[in-house]
Amino acid sequence: MKIKAKTVVPGITEGEAIVSRTAISFTGGMDPETGIIREPGHELEGQSVAGKILVFPGGKGSTTGSWQFYAAFKRGAAPKGIINVKAEGVVAISAIITGTPMVHELEQDLLKVIQTGDFIRIDADKGFIEIEEG
Amino acid sequence: MQLTRQQEDMFEGKKGPGARRAMEILVAYGDVYDAKRMIPVSSVHMAGNFPVLMDEGIQWLEDLAGEGTRVTVFTTKNPEMYDFEEADELNIPMAYQVRQNRIHDALKSLGVTLTYSCHHYLVGNVPRFGDHIAWASSGSQVFANSVIGARSNRDGDHAALAAAITGAIPEWGLHLDENRKGEFIIDAGRLDLENYGSADYKALGWHLGKAVGAKIPVFVNLPHDMVIEEIKGLLYTLTVTGAIGLVHLVGITPEAMTVEAAFAGNPPPLPEITPSQEDVNRAYLDISSSSEEKVDMVIFGCPQCSIQEVREIADLLGDRKIHPDTQLWICTSAWVKALCKRMDLLDSLRASGARVVADVGAADGPHLYLREQGVRVVAINSARGSYYAHNLFGMETWFGSTRECVESAVSGKWEGRK
Repeated sequence: MKIKAKTVVPGITEGEAIVSRTAISFTGGMDPETGIIREPGHELEGQSVAGKILVFPGGKGSTTGSWQFYAAFKRGAAPKGIINVKAEGVVAISAIITGTPMVHELEQDLLKVIQTGDFIRIDADKGFIEIEEG
Repeated sequence: MQLTRQQEDMFEGKKGPGARRAMEILVAYGDVYDAKRMIPVSSVHMAGNFPVLMDEGIQWLEDLAGEGTRVTVFTTKNPEMYDFEEADELNIPMAYQVRQNRIHDALKSLGVTLTYSCHHYLVGNVPRFGDHIAWASSGSQVFANSVIGARSNRDGDHAALAAAITGAIPEWGLHLDENRKGEFIIDAGRLDLENYGSADYKALGWHLGKAVGAKIPVFVNLPHDMVIEEIKGLLYTLTVTGAIGLVHLVGITPEAMTVEAAFAGNPPPLPEITPSQEDVNRAYLDISSSSEEKVDMVIFGCPQCSIQEVREIADLLGDRKIHPDTQLWICTSAWVKALCKRMDLLDSLRASGARVVADVGAADGPHLYLREQGVRVVAINSARGSYYAHNLFGMETWFGSTRECVESAVSGKWEGRK
């Protein structure tokens, strides 16, 4: 399935989706060493987003999140692509400074159409994503 | 996005590599939000310290500074890891001192004013109503929008620093009138507000944060005589579990003197959320992560304590001594510490065994080495501080009022709700 999206950071990437229905804070919420979500009670708590296509509604929490994302990126623990319902400043800047392909504002409700484990291709150059069910 | 001639020059690298990088970040950032142009900013504030920057972030700053880049707008800096005057007394490991000094030198080279304070609006960085600013630090940013009426988006440090270098920020979000309208009503009328203190407002903020998300709430039926510390308690906590940039407190926020003004015309007939006192009571317990009675440390100052808050702690403590196995830290700015010294508070607190520590906040910096020094259970009067101390540094936390925290410092065990 192919869905149109708006580009935040251009680039093409593909990988396994990890989906969160709740917002994520990179400061405090994600371990920059491992990419494991560590916010107590978060639906992804204990799961790693490293090397995955991270799908979530948007960012929250500390505005220092772009530093933690940058450190995670340099350590190979960051997601390789980001899909948001609506980009929020801290997540957008994180993607911009690391060149991580990112899209938002999909034409369909992405939290309904993408499941964890689906194979996703982001083409942020042309502005769409492709989903293969996992 | 339309750029001025000068901004074009920066984008093309004619003003040096640092200005180019800053402009590239801002243009990409503006494009995401369909910004049509860049607007001048009058004030910038940066947030990150070593625990969040890590070595990779320090290198990023040093690369920028090494290119001879300078800020062109008054820019202040959030707290760091330790009190610069007491590095040895606090037994700060050399590895951290080296990192701290690298950040210090890079920021100085960039021309940042080294306030090391998160109440920078109390120590010289004061925008006016309607000013466009770029403040990283989610708490002070929501304060600027909601209490001062200055306009800042939730810019992270990279956007804020880029704005400081170029003197401008993309015009989107909260910079525009149409995006500052309230979106729903929160009615505080059912709460026991007459007996509320700062900690209660923090517990309320914690309870509401998730429900608020990134939507602009309009609070009605809050007392109009809330003091700054109480307003901060509510606002700063809302940004921990939510992603909010502007909160209309009817009767307090300059743009929201009435409900109609907060919605720019048509307020909804009914509140969407009416929190109960039980919700707030439950939040107290949710915030605390600890189950151990013994308290290793009581730490105040997230955000950094004002002189009024230091005075309150000193009065509650009186001439009592704190428990020999418990530390009490009051984190604040170098300015407030200087005032404490002048007013003999420093000596009286020290006589009780408490310590006033400048240049740090109670949420992050110090926990890095405190944990290594054996501190495990922390009592704190800040929900925000509790969240970051636990999630970033693995501290076990107790959250309660200033009085409960002071009593815990004296007895050495948690004296608040559990």
